[in-house]
Amino acid sequence: MFSIHTRQVFARATLPILILFAVALVLLGLVRRPVVDGARLQATDILAPAYQALVLPQAKLRDWLVDLRGATDLARENSRLRDENRALRHWYDVAVALAAENGRLKNSLHWIPESIPQYVTGRVTRDDGGPYSRAVLLDVGSGHQVHMGDVALDSSGLLGRVTEVGPHTVRVLLINDDASRIPVTLAASHGDAIMAGDDTDTPRLIYYPQDHHPIEGERVETRGQSAMPAGLPIGTVHYLAPNRPVVMPDADLRRLDIVRVFDYGDDGGQAPDAPGRVKIRRPPSEPALPGGLSFPKLPGMSEPLGKGGQ
Amino acid sequence: MVAENSTPHLHSAVEPKQTLRRRLDMFVRAAMPSLFIILVAVLLSAPFGIPGQAELQFGIAMCTVWFWAFSRPRSMPALAVFVCGLVLELFSFGPPGAILLSLLVIYGVAHHWRYGLSRLGFVACWLIFSFLAALASFFQWALVCLHAFALLSPAPGLFQAALTIGIYPSLTALFVWGRRTFANPDQA
Repeated sequence: MFSIHTRQVFARATLPILILFAVALVLLGLVRRPVVDGARLQATDILAPAYQALVLPQAKLRDWLVDLRGATDLARENSRLRDENRALRHWYDVAVALAAENGRLKNSLHWIPESIPQYVTGRVTRDDGGPYSRAVLLDVGSGHQVHMGDVALDSSGLLGRVTEVGPHTVRVLLINDDASRIPVTLAASHGDAIMAGDDTDTPRLIYYPQDHHPIEGERVETRGQSAMPAGLPIGTVHYLAPNRPVVMPDADLRRLDIVRVFDYGDDGGQAPDAPGRVKIRRPPSEPALPGGLSFPKLPGMSEPLGKGGQ
Repeated sequence: MVAENSTPHLHSAVEPKQTLRRRLDMFVRAAMPSLFIILVAVLLSAPFGIPGQAELQFGIAMCTVWFWAFSRPRSMPALAVFVCGLVLELFSFGPPGAILLSLLVIYGVAHHWRYGLSRLGFVACWLIFSFLAALASFFQWALVCLHAFALLSPAPGLFQAALTIGIYPSLTALFVWGRRTFANPDQA
């Protein structure tokens, strides 16, 4: 078709032309990278089923190896589990004995049983527009019985307190917000302190007795004051620096999902009236009735007998 | 010692009949190096999680093009190199065009010096190839830096060059055997 000369010219020109194409591709990659990446992704997309088939034997082999390792470790695992089971059984017996003893002692001391708290569970939605930097909105549905000051917990510990109550949602102020101050008790040193949030993940401990410094690693619990019951787990003490104790919360405050709000009774910790002292009136936690009508509580009516200072 | 038509018993005056099957066989044997590169490109782009998969893709392609370009250029024409390079580009995620340009340049060098390279020993060929592979890896690293607008660590580029240089002897052994047997169109 072509003369020998033309074919020779073609043969000589092929490589330079192809190199020019390659340079053009390099430049295209520099100028319009998404075009190239799109083509690559499409190619990978087309081959995705083939990749799956290729990787399948590898995955199967890995599974077999894991199974095989599990099978060879079976005897050791079995003996470990047997030991663990024995220890657990021992602790179960101890727990049962202690529970019985506790019941007996409470009985003989005429212990007033604590009321079983009411609770609602809701899903957390992030709070964008609230007045706090660390607060969450909780969807509790309509017809809920949540009040201001109720305690929010997740499966591992205290999260915060309810600060505002809406028709469907409540706002929970987390313990690490700058505005949060919670009275706490240190479990080992028996000291009291205030846990103050500072917008970091670890709230600070302040106002602890100067002769009873918190001990590194001891448990921190709520103290039982103003609608907050005693003994709710919060976390452990940790010293970030000398004389700077903080609380490492048990609850994962960054990833909240399902939260329970407990109502321990609003007047649980309210002290009886002391003669000669002016009583500080707390703002009503219930929303005002429609029409601006509100019924002031009569002193003594809301106070159940024997539920005085804890 | 260009290896084309070097099998003595095929120099008979009686040529076998050019049936379709024979032509197809010849074509597949001639295209064996290119098919090898494409197969490697596709296989090594699968998510096996083997360390150095992308570098191995590049290294095997470089070795294959280099070897066949000087030992049997008919099995590795420029257009095949280009197509293989494009396929490699599709199934790799480095800077676009770098592998293709490297392959074409190494092909050009090997093809231009094929008579000289055929006369040289294995070690000399390996040394020249090593220099070119290092150069190509450096070029790729420079392109990555240009894409990122930052001076990145040259360690991946050095690893790629070392891997490419390291697998050359074993691949050469495979190719020398293949040139005599399964990739030899004269044996069709």
